[in-house]
Amino acid sequence: MTDALYYARRYPLGVIGALILIVFVLTAIFAGVVAPMDPLTTNARASLAPPSHIYWIGADMMGRDMLSRMIHGARISLAVALGATCIGSGLGAMLGLASGYLGGWFDLIVQRIAEIMQSLPLLVMALVITASLGPSLTNTIIAIAIPLIPNVARVIRANVLSLRELNYVEAARAIGMGRTRIALVHIFPNTLAPLIVLATAQLGSTILTEASLSFLGLGVPEPYPSWGRMLSESAAEYIHSAPWLVIFPGLAISMVVFGANLFGDALRDILDPRQGD
Amino acid sequence: MKRSGFLLAVVCLLGLGHAALAQKQGSTLRVTHRDNPPSASILEEATISTDMPFMAVFNNLVVFDPASPVNRLDKVVPDLATSWAWSDNDRTLTFKLHQGVKWHDGKPFTSADVKCTWDMLTGKVQGKLRKNPRKTWWFNIKDVATDGDDTVIFHLYDPQPSIMAMFAGGFSPVYPCHVPANEMRTHPIGTGPFKFESFKQNESIRLVRNPDYWKPGKPYLDAIEYTIIPNRSTMVLAMAAGKFDLSFTADLTPELTKSLMEQVPTMQCVMQPTGTQGNLLVNRERPPFDNAQIRKAMVLSIDRKAFSDILSQGVFQVGGANMPPPEGFWGWSKEYMETVPGYGADVEKSREQGRAIMKSLGYGPDHMLQLKVTTRNIPDYRDAAVILIDHLKSVYIQAELEPLDSSVWYARLIRKDFSVAMNIQGTGIDDPDVQFFENFLCDSQRNYTSYCNADLEKEFHRQSQMKDIDARRKLVWDIDKTLQEDGARPVVFHAQAGTCWWPRVHGINIARNTIYNHWRFEDVWLDQ
Amino acid sequence: MIQYTLRRLGLMAITLFGVSVAIFVLLRIVPGNIADILFDSAGMIDPAEKQQIVKDLGLDLPLITQYTHWIGGLLHGDLGYSYVSEKPVLDEILPRIPITARLAGLALMFAICTGVPFGVISAVRQNSWLDYALRVVSLAALSMPSFWLGLLVLMAFVDWLGLLPIYDKAPATWGAAILMYCVPAASVGLRSSALIMRLTRSSMLEVLRQDYVRTARSKGLSEAAVTFTHALRNAMLPVITVIGIETAFLFGGLIVTETVFNIPGIARFLVVAISWRDYPMVQNLVMFIAIVVVSVNLIVDLAYMLVDPRIRLRT
Repeated sequence: MTDALYYARRYPLGVIGALILIVFVLTAIFAGVVAPMDPLTTNARASLAPPSHIYWIGADMMGRDMLSRMIHGARISLAVALGATCIGSGLGAMLGLASGYLGGWFDLIVQRIAEIMQSLPLLVMALVITASLGPSLTNTIIAIAIPLIPNVARVIRANVLSLRELNYVEAARAIGMGRTRIALVHIFPNTLAPLIVLATAQLGSTILTEASLSFLGLGVPEPYPSWGRMLSESAAEYIHSAPWLVIFPGLAISMVVFGANLFGDALRDILDPRQGD
Repeated sequence: MKRSGFLLAVVCLLGLGHAALAQKQGSTLRVTHRDNPPSASILEEATISTDMPFMAVFNNLVVFDPASPVNRLDKVVPDLATSWAWSDNDRTLTFKLHQGVKWHDGKPFTSADVKCTWDMLTGKVQGKLRKNPRKTWWFNIKDVATDGDDTVIFHLYDPQPSIMAMFAGGFSPVYPCHVPANEMRTHPIGTGPFKFESFKQNESIRLVRNPDYWKPGKPYLDAIEYTIIPNRSTMVLAMAAGKFDLSFTADLTPELTKSLMEQVPTMQCVMQPTGTQGNLLVNRERPPFDNAQIRKAMVLSIDRKAFSDILSQGVFQVGGANMPPPEGFWGWSKEYMETVPGYGADVEKSREQGRAIMKSLGYGPDHMLQLKVTTRNIPDYRDAAVILIDHLKSVYIQAELEPLDSSVWYARLIRKDFSVAMNIQGTGIDDPDVQFFENFLCDSQRNYTSYCNADLEKEFHRQSQMKDIDARRKLVWDIDKTLQEDGARPVVFHAQAGTCWWPRVHGINIARNTIYNHWRFEDVWLDQ
Repeated sequence: MIQYTLRRLGLMAITLFGVSVAIFVLLRIVPGNIADILFDSAGMIDPAEKQQIVKDLGLDLPLITQYTHWIGGLLHGDLGYSYVSEKPVLDEILPRIPITARLAGLALMFAICTGVPFGVISAVRQNSWLDYALRVVSLAALSMPSFWLGLLVLMAFVDWLGLLPIYDKAPATWGAAILMYCVPAASVGLRSSALIMRLTRSSMLEVLRQDYVRTARSKGLSEAAVTFTHALRNAMLPVITVIGIETAFLFGGLIVTETVFNIPGIARFLVVAISWRDYPMVQNLVMFIAIVVVSVNLIVDLAYMLVDPRIRLRT
């Protein structure tokens, strides 16, 4: 507890970030309770209704309450952010660990594949993947996760390489510990800190990638209220007559990504001081 | 020299009579374009993206009177044909052609070019066109013959007054015989007022004045330049800023049109039916939709007015397969529509009936029928499908959206690999022959729901041969009613959209009942 | 150094080969082909006509044959024809490259010109309100969806300044030309600028703590001299790295920026080509981008080695 207070005082920006994230996660979990209306029910009479006491931040073209859609949209963004980050970081960490520790041919192949993936622009890869898998929430998550893998794998690999040379690992090897055991007991725990830092940094960018995919007509399909989809396409056309359609989802995305970035920064300073200042 | 020029101008002015302003020669007309046309070959495409920009390169045999705001059979006037005559009990149609017309590459235009064009369109000459989307339009042509360079004769199987409408449509230009089809896709050659100059993919299309145009003194513009702007918000900003003179036809939703007119009070805008309709495709071969009762319940759940209010602030119209009046000529009158089931004003009552049907089949609030609504993954389709899904809930149907990439959409429809689909389809001409033969013949390629009614098909042919327009319209109404009652392809809305231009553009006359014609630009000029 | 460069060039060749296989296979996995798309605009499919198109374009050949045709042509400088425009791919790509290159170059320039000075200020004034403000602003810049930002910027220019900074082939005035390049460049470069600022700041802080800076300071050199002659030069290293990383990233931002500002460059073009299943166009464009990315990475690494000799030991 005192630790928490200490960190809170030292990293005020981090606290703000954490608060934003907490509000975001709670909104997502309790969307069904918090949202004043059903996010999918259309209402012809409320089409493009401006903000009022009924529709706090207005209604969209289909007369659906924007506030309720934004609240439910938090779920989609959370699912995309968590899903893609976990899959991407998880697979990346595994590959990085294996290639760093095993070295040799395996390392060489993983390195080349990572380099190939990094030479293809991220958005283009996500574009091709969603196009082949078809638009759905799961497929969007996969499409965003795959391009994350090489980056994570490289960082973890570099970390493992430096750990491998450390004295206690050599000692473990000397006393005849198995390779898998060394990797899991001595090396893996030591890569956790950079992994967490990296994963937090990616939380925000996955949400942004989803938004860009939606802008290009891919991403999470209707009628799911994804923030990215909400502010692209037809909504963007109404920027003059119904600016609330464009401004609020954009603000929501920016706020959450901002929160994740603030929190990630603070976390990096705490867990892995070498990477930051 | 000066004096004769002056005299000439005076004579021109007098000749024009009522024209208040003299047409000014020169200037480039800048037009927005909604997307990249698949090719420059009008005969091979069925999209306005190709039709509008390239129509000015060509001429037709006949056209809908450019001065008339309606495209109708009695408004057909000569273009490349100077006159035409029916004979042999209306089974032979003879066109006399203009002489001395030259293609843009200098070769003379003759009757052989006309024959050649329709031999390709009817499929008599194979392998020239890569695709031929309007083959069904010309099913009635037995053969085409020439008589010297200036006469061409069409022999028909049956009398068909509407064939004149098809000849007059923007989709039926005359192609040069001597230019290979692939060249027509990349560098079209025509006889029209403008010559093709360039087509840069995803960027721009540029046509320049044809100085040797066979209609003396025309056209007035030096060039027409289309800039492709797929992002509609950017397009509206650019239009409002005056970067363009004319917006792509029917590219502005009713809401955007309103907003643009508010931003620029002098902007000239026309709202017109786009010839596209939203309709419901139900796969009647796949259970449980082979049950006519379920299909009926689905139709009863639809609130057509809500579609129109949401998608267009109430501008979209309700009707049967044919375009509704006042713009459309063949659609039901208001009074007639009242007699068609499912078109009543009381939606709640219809939905009550729908729920009763579903209950009798064992469905209810706790046991909803689960299904997927398939649609194309582009906004217009998706928006309509989302509303449909919401309406289906009212008759115990729980639907999920299945958005399909454009590349697989038609392939899936033709394979009949769907249960329920939200479809939007366009029709090039406001004409019952086009509508019925394209979509509802038992073996038509576009008959996605495999609706097949042999008795009705006889009626299609019967109306097609009728010369009395009013009697024909009555029959068309009845046919349309049967189609809707049978749930062949329940029509949900008829779309409308806006086209806008700055007041400096003169001579634009937009047809009220089609977006596909009137884009020859030979009378258009800019005052700047 | 030479040996290292040769080794890297060898690896580059392997990577590019991998990219070519990857994009070739990925494109074939994506459902639908050009024939489907062509009929899409016609609202129908005639199986016989479709079959003919597939045959004419050689899409019915075995994949291996298709691949060797492509690579064989590529090595001879023959990129084939676009399925859509039926023009040589090279003619389609070449005029578009300078447009995107100019945009990307301006964006990077903007990023460096704003990112480096603000990073230095932020580091020198560590923990001041200015530092906090700059850090928050840079994080905020990293948090906004680029197309949203682009749209808002475009709106702001139109509504408040009465200017429209969208692409114009022949801009009327110099002002218009500058505007139409700089506004999109700034809105796409903002992200990189924020990244560079953050990195400059952290590496500056690290350098400022080092012994030789302390020595310089104790020798009585002025604060400004210390900052600029010693610290900044060393802090430049990570900036070079960011440029390398950002080349690949920038492309994603370019796609949406080119769409919002209607710029006819290769980024938006690539997206359209993917949706058209225009295989020759997509394959060759992706190869081109990969070559750029890989070369930039190599140049960055070499530059890094020249600037900082310690790196050599690590390779």
